[in-house]
Amino acid sequence: MMLHYFLRRAFLIGFVFVALTVLAFSLSYLFPGDVLTNISGLSSIQPEQQQNLIQYYALDQSLLQQYIAYVNRILDGEWGLSFSSQQPVLSEIIAVFPATLELASYALILSFVLGIPLGLFAAVKADSVFGKLISTVTLIAYSIPIFWWALLLIMLFSLTLGVLPTAGRINVLFDIPTTTGFMLPDIWLSDIAYKAEATQDALRHLLLPAVVLATYPTTVMIRFTRDSMLAVLEQSYIKTARAKGLSRAQVLYHHGLRNALLPVIRQIGLQFSTLITLAMITEVIFSWPGIGQWLLDSIYQRNYPAIQGGLLVVSCLVIVVNMLTEILHTLFNPLARKA
Amino acid sequence: MKKFRLYFEEQNRGPLTQLWQQFQRQHAAVLGLVMFSFFLLLTIFAPLLTPHNPYLQNPDLLLLAPSWSDQGLVQYPFGTDDLGRDLMSRLMKGATYTFGIALVTVIGSLLMGLALGAMAGMSKGVKSSIFNHVLDLALTIPSLLLAIIIVAVLGPGLWNTTWAIMLALLPQFVHGIRNAIQDTLKQDYVAAYRLDGASNWQVLRYAVLPNIWEHLTVMATMALSTAILDIAALGFLGLGAQAPTSEWGVMIADALDLIYLAPWAIALPGILVFASVLSVNLVGDGLRTAMKKRREN
Repeated sequence: MMLHYFLRRAFLIGFVFVALTVLAFSLSYLFPGDVLTNISGLSSIQPEQQQNLIQYYALDQSLLQQYIAYVNRILDGEWGLSFSSQQPVLSEIIAVFPATLELASYALILSFVLGIPLGLFAAVKADSVFGKLISTVTLIAYSIPIFWWALLLIMLFSLTLGVLPTAGRINVLFDIPTTTGFMLPDIWLSDIAYKAEATQDALRHLLLPAVVLATYPTTVMIRFTRDSMLAVLEQSYIKTARAKGLSRAQVLYHHGLRNALLPVIRQIGLQFSTLITLAMITEVIFSWPGIGQWLLDSIYQRNYPAIQGGLLVVSCLVIVVNMLTEILHTLFNPLARKA
Repeated sequence: MKKFRLYFEEQNRGPLTQLWQQFQRQHAAVLGLVMFSFFLLLTIFAPLLTPHNPYLQNPDLLLLAPSWSDQGLVQYPFGTDDLGRDLMSRLMKGATYTFGIALVTVIGSLLMGLALGAMAGMSKGVKSSIFNHVLDLALTIPSLLLAIIIVAVLGPGLWNTTWAIMLALLPQFVHGIRNAIQDTLKQDYVAAYRLDGASNWQVLRYAVLPNIWEHLTVMATMALSTAILDIAALGFLGLGAQAPTSEWGVMIADALDLIYLAPWAIALPGILVFASVLSVNLVGDGLRTAMKKRREN
């Protein structure tokens, strides 16, 4: 039963990856400019070089063979050169990608820690002043445009009060050797004398972007947990549990929470692509050196190989997260396993 | 309103009237509807209502303060920008771009979603399975990334990004509509209608669509708030509407250099984006609650 399920998932993920590479491959033809330049990323191609390159990229063969050659190159890690820096695209992505992952995961953790308890509280005490307050604030936070919210916070905390920095991951005075690409683990893994100061500075840089990015997922989490909990609390098994003589807390924990959180797990996967979009905007505003800022710089510079590579990496991340949350949901939920 | 019922009388009102009765009991939702109508009127009549030409530059009145400050003029309620253009006229004209184009994208995406969702919902087996897989792929590409790719292929501009947003909204419409149609198809009245000899098209037209349109409206409001936020964000990033256009996101990006001199030029367009999204969300939430309550009665 489960094996069948995993096989179907594996087939699906294979199909999605094929479709994604087809899309990325066709972009070389869709982007303006010469196909050879778009594929290789070389800004100036000598005439004597050209024939070799055409042979190498299989451009003289049919589209299907070109596509197979493209997939082979992707698997070998040859993603072409970036127009602007003439460096391999893949190594640039590896350099910027952890920053995005770090920011997005802190925001996601923050949204869990805040969103789920608040959502549960708003559901259990739906008619109290506090419950209504949570719902109202959630609706307001849900409607705020993220870039404007970021600017408001910068105006307040950085320009007026001057307590938090506006840009970057850490003060440039600190020299942190890169091992994982994630700032906080890098600081702790390194053997520098000023660990405590560096950690504090990194946290101060992290605070505003993480809060800005966490705003939307937190409100979604609150709304979703609240709705899901309200729906569960109306079920007859909750009444049965109460009638058996269980206390309110026991009912909430054993019968309410477990059922209410199931759809929430699924929601994480569905909201992840929105989270990445918002992370890209946040990165631009806070000059956070992640893949979002890198991609937007690429579009301003018409750096087509970089856009192609970015599409592949970001979409794969979203697909993998989607798939993982769905598998988790199925593992936790016997009802979904049966169907 | 009668306080008590003397006689037993059955209330048989149409579904729309019942919906409206439930809707108007929620004050926040009615407030949202008022705000929504305000933005809608502004979108349609902005060219007639603006006190000044939103693109006319007045070199004598650069960076005029809003009229509530001592340096302001009452003819320019929100002051002027760094090129001497009246901020209020620009904000009013901006409703046409941000709010109006968001409406157009949502309607376009809804129509496409209806066609595709109906095809997916009425089909079975391999055809519907292939459809789902393609949709799953489309759902995984973040909307901003999609916009970046479309801008890279077609070049920046308001209409090009409109396509990106339409495509980004489409999968959720198709998913939602397909699920709604399949839920309705399981109902007994559809089976009865089929036994009467109705064709697929007749089932869809007379049995399914009238029962899912409320669901569609709620989906459309959710999509509209996303569309407004996306258009403003793309404008802000310089991928959507371009500089002289008074789209709200572009206006915020333009005013960034003046963040110390004229903070109101950043605050005001942001408030408008926020208020329009809030009004849409209030109406959407109100509609959903009203639908739920009506079903319970």
